[in-house]
Amino acid sequence: MTRRAAPRAVLLAAGELLAWWVVLALLWLVLISTVDTLERIVGASCAAVGAVLARAGRRAVTWR
Amino acid sequence: MAVNGWILAATIELGGGGAAALWGVATGPPARRVIAQNMTTSAVCPALLLLAQGYGRPSYVDLALLLALLGPVGTLVFARLLGDDLAGQQPSAWALTWTAAGLGAAVVLALCVAGSPGRATVKLLVIGALLISGNLVASRALAGGFRGVRGG
Repeated sequence: MTRRAAPRAVLLAAGELLAWWVVLALLWLVLISTVDTLERIVGASCAAVGAVLARAGRRAVTWR
Repeated sequence: MAVNGWILAATIELGGGGAAALWGVATGPPARRVIAQNMTTSAVCPALLLLAQGYGRPSYVDLALLLALLGPVGTLVFARLLGDDLAGQQPSAWALTWTAAGLGAAVVLALCVAGSPGRATVKLLVIGALLISGNLVASRALAGGFRGVRGG
């Protein structure tokens, strides 16, 4: 039996992923030497993978 | 190539800060050595930035970026592996830490002013932020400031 996540939780997760993606994609654009189409595509893809990893990393650490 | 002010500043930085860090790492009790090991990043990274500017090779800045990223990570590994040995000591040298942070900030600001504004400026600021925040986080970890963090 699968439980559906609450819409609010899904929205929050999507928002966090989007925030990570924007930050990482901007970082990529800043750090490369020449900006062209291929770099944009590769950067957007890497930022997407990085956003998933960043969220997983944040959720793995707990403060107490 | 003639020696310019940037290369001279890098030499002074390496000769002073780098040598002091090397001496601190090689002598004294473990608590002092981990602090000196942590300070090595703060001493060498601004020197690499100055050298990149002095030689007119912007791509050399990547070395400083890597060092600013990996140096604090290395210190965190030391802080974890030496956790038992350093348990009662909580090594810290906050005056030195903030001095090093100020030095990094001064170098980054000088390079930003010297260059034309653009993506390179943002990259320099990113490196400076990584260097200073990484240094502060690693210093706090050495001083036992993150004992409450679990998981991962």
